[in-house]
Amino acid sequence: MSNVESLPRRILQSIIGFVRGWIESVRVKKRDYLVAAVELILAGLTGFLVAGIVLLVMGYDPIWIYSVLFRYGYSSPGYLGARSAALMMTGLAFSIPILAGVFNIGGESQLYLGALTGLVIAYYTGNIWLGLIAGFIGGAAWGLLIAALRVYRGINEVITAIMLNWTAYYLIIYIILKYLPNPTQSHLSIQIPENMMLSYSSTFWLAVLGAVIAYILLYYTDLGYKMRIAGLSPRTAVYAGFNPRKAILFSMLLGGGLAGYGGALHIIGVASAFDTTMSTVFGLGFAGIGVGLLGRNHPIGIIFASVFYAGLIIGGQFVELYTGAPPYLSDTIIGIIVIALAIPYAYRMMINYITLLRGGGK
Amino acid sequence: MSGEEVVVMKNIHKIYPDGVVALRGVDFTVKRGEIHGLLGENGAGKTTLMRILYGEIKPTRGEIRVFGEKVSFHGPWDAIRRGIGMVYQHFTLVPTFTVKENLYLSLLSVNPKASMDEALERVRRIVEETNLKIPLEYLVEELPIGVQQRVEIVKNLIREAKILILDEPTSVLTPVETEELFKALERFKEMGLTIIFITHKLKEAKRITDRITVLRRGRVVGTVETNRVDVKDLARMMVEREIIFKIEKKPARRGEALLEARDLHVLDDRGVEAVKGISLKLYRGEIFGIAGVQGNGQRELAEALAGIRRVESGRILLHGRDITGLSAAERYRYGLAYVPASRRIGLVSEMNIVENTALTNLYRVLMKMRVINWSKASSIASEVVRRLEVVAPSLTTPIKYLSGGNQQKVMVGREIVREPDVFIVSEPTQGLDVAATEFIRRTLIRLRDEGKAILLISSDLDEVLQLSDRLAVIYEGKFMSVGRPEEYTLEKLGLLMGGVSV
Ligand SMILES: Nc1ncnc2c1ncn2[C@@H]1O[C@H](COP(=O)(O)OP(=O)(O)O)[C@@H](O)[C@H]1O
Ligand SMILES: [Mg+2]
Repeated sequence: MSNVESLPRRILQSIIGFVRGWIESVRVKKRDYLVAAVELILAGLTGFLVAGIVLLVMGYDPIWIYSVLFRYGYSSPGYLGARSAALMMTGLAFSIPILAGVFNIGGESQLYLGALTGLVIAYYTGNIWLGLIAGFIGGAAWGLLIAALRVYRGINEVITAIMLNWTAYYLIIYIILKYLPNPTQSHLSIQIPENMMLSYSSTFWLAVLGAVIAYILLYYTDLGYKMRIAGLSPRTAVYAGFNPRKAILFSMLLGGGLAGYGGALHIIGVASAFDTTMSTVFGLGFAGIGVGLLGRNHPIGIIFASVFYAGLIIGGQFVELYTGAPPYLSDTIIGIIVIALAIPYAYRMMINYITLLRGGGK
Repeated sequence: MSGEEVVVMKNIHKIYPDGVVALRGVDFTVKRGEIHGLLGENGAGKTTLMRILYGEIKPTRGEIRVFGEKVSFHGPWDAIRRGIGMVYQHFTLVPTFTVKENLYLSLLSVNPKASMDEALERVRRIVEETNLKIPLEYLVEELPIGVQQRVEIVKNLIREAKILILDEPTSVLTPVETEELFKALERFKEMGLTIIFITHKLKEAKRITDRITVLRRGRVVGTVETNRVDVKDLARMMVEREIIFKIEKKPARRGEALLEARDLHVLDDRGVEAVKGISLKLYRGEIFGIAGVQGNGQRELAEALAGIRRVESGRILLHGRDITGLSAAERYRYGLAYVPASRRIGLVSEMNIVENTALTNLYRVLMKMRVINWSKASSIASEVVRRLEVVAPSLTTPIKYLSGGNQQKVMVGREIVREPDVFIVSEPTQGLDVAATEFIRRTLIRLRDEGKAILLISSDLDEVLQLSDRLAVIYEGKFMSVGRPEEYTLEKLGLLMGGVSV
């Protein structure tokens, strides 16, 4: 390749390569896709069956509950899309690091951080785009902290993430109460003004944009390729002259950043403010683990998984409303369904991760 | 006191599940109170035979008697109960436990009701009897390897082992530690223990054992009284063979030096010096072979040359240019290729042929904005498949579904297609069938005839003897000698590989 090629030509070349590669990869993975589809259907049926039995035992009519769940969960596409945004991003925050061999369960607090920095910057600059960027940076910094501790100090990322999740939780409550109180509504933080908020559909598409960029980075650039090699076999990465440490750092930067971006999107597109009990953001990161597994750790799969999951959450709220059942009920049902759908894949993934932990240190 | 046969293994065969025939009818007898050496090259079957005696694996066929009784072990616990203990090449201690805890744990495995006090009492008795000093309160991971090995031995003794198997115990030790170990072994002998000592080091076998059984390719060559033989006899027994097939090759047309190493010193993963001052020059158009038993610094040397492992001191030159400070990726780009000994290192089994080919060809398929041109990667992969005659359903088949031979072809082929000048090739035919082996060897000769420089590191004597234009023997991180293959007799090779200079 010569250096004198013009820029448009280079870009064109990249695009052509990209499209060709994409067609190739779909052709390649046809069988994988089919297996995944069959697996998903079987797992889904099992999940609904088991959850149905649980409902029966608890004295509810499963058919009726399911019909409420699905009728209301997916009835308003705009809202559904906007609610999926944060889940999509925390799904990626789990899945991207796992491809590099890092178990990131810190998406929860990376999302908090991004939501906070996003809120503050968007509020004080009046520019939501700056807010979204700040969200990414906040989440990325929080994610990098975990990665740095693992890479430079050998501290298991799961432990760090669990501790940092709670650190962030209380830190943010403190910051909201102390520095960002809402002058009119005491249970809220400062609030993004109504007219600045993103529309539901832009919120969704901005999230999709994030997922697509992640997809390209992972599968069509050397960064993503090296990261995936390092995740599957660190020794091979070293042999090829790639640095597995860089892969870990990069994956957490990207994963944490996307979680933070998701947090900012959630504030700027859906919630507009924190509440002092954190209920607007709590659990979005943990749910991301389910979303990532449902999406088979693939960015495109995660887009669909997040919509499905968001629908279950919304539907679950309607189930509470109509049946007067405690929130645990719908949480349980969602939990069972998601676990059933994720188990076959999660099982294979965990085996891979454990073998990596055993052999990877060498 | 001696004379009684405490271990009798008769006609032992072992075929591993993957079809490797490791033992072909081995008879092995150990007498009470002796130190019995088990000598042989890599892959001779020493470890396999002892794992069978220790109950860890079952023989495919054959009979075992321990203290006169016919036994059939279901696991090491059965062997331990009969008084057999084994210290592996890789230790089995819990690194984050203290020595005391590890010892207690091992006692619990034979006596679940034992108390810590009981364990300590036993340890005290053993220490008194044997003079083995072990720091009870330390975490195992904080201890030097030599001390860990002592703990491992004590662990077996408190379980009342009467027959102690040591698998290449000195390979991890410094000379001082080795001397200490030998003193301990002599002490054990006085106490009436029986010891089976696995080694490939001739001098050690000669120094410490009473009798020696030599294994070669899964068969017993013979059992001898140590004081009736000299190291030359042992060397001959260890390596004697007929060359199975001979590859015809043209005389080498040697060109200029392409790769040069000057006084290299390299550490292994544990931080112990593994390459102790190696210098070499590799010329265009030649195959330079490095023979030696695995674990004598070959891997560290190859990795240092490839840029994967740090060089402590010394310099590496490629085309006369100092590359000591360059990364592996940069060296590959400047015309160096490295084919590692293990396909588990060289290949990602879940990824397909295209993705695996891209691994070392990445700089060739990268477009602007760091985007990978997968169609270009595919065409390179198909070139590999075509030129190396890889048999695979498609380019997008995950590499794990290919046979070992075809995996190896991908690993070699993806280097060949980048047209480097210098190949460092490590154990290129290990575990391959005859056809694949011959194909790979012919390919190496073709590359040499095309004017490439090839550094062939192999513990397979046939291979280095057939292929090399010049041949060095490596032992404990140093070249014992460098010469033309014709200058070596098998006996001489055996001696050099066993660490005896001639
Ligand atoms: N677990 C295993 N599965 C398959 N083959 C094996 C296994 N362990 C050893 N082998 C093979 O059996 C042969 C003998 O190996 P081993 O007993 O380790 O030899 P040694 O200890 O004398 O070097 C070798 O060809 C080796 O590759
Ligand atoms: Mg062995």
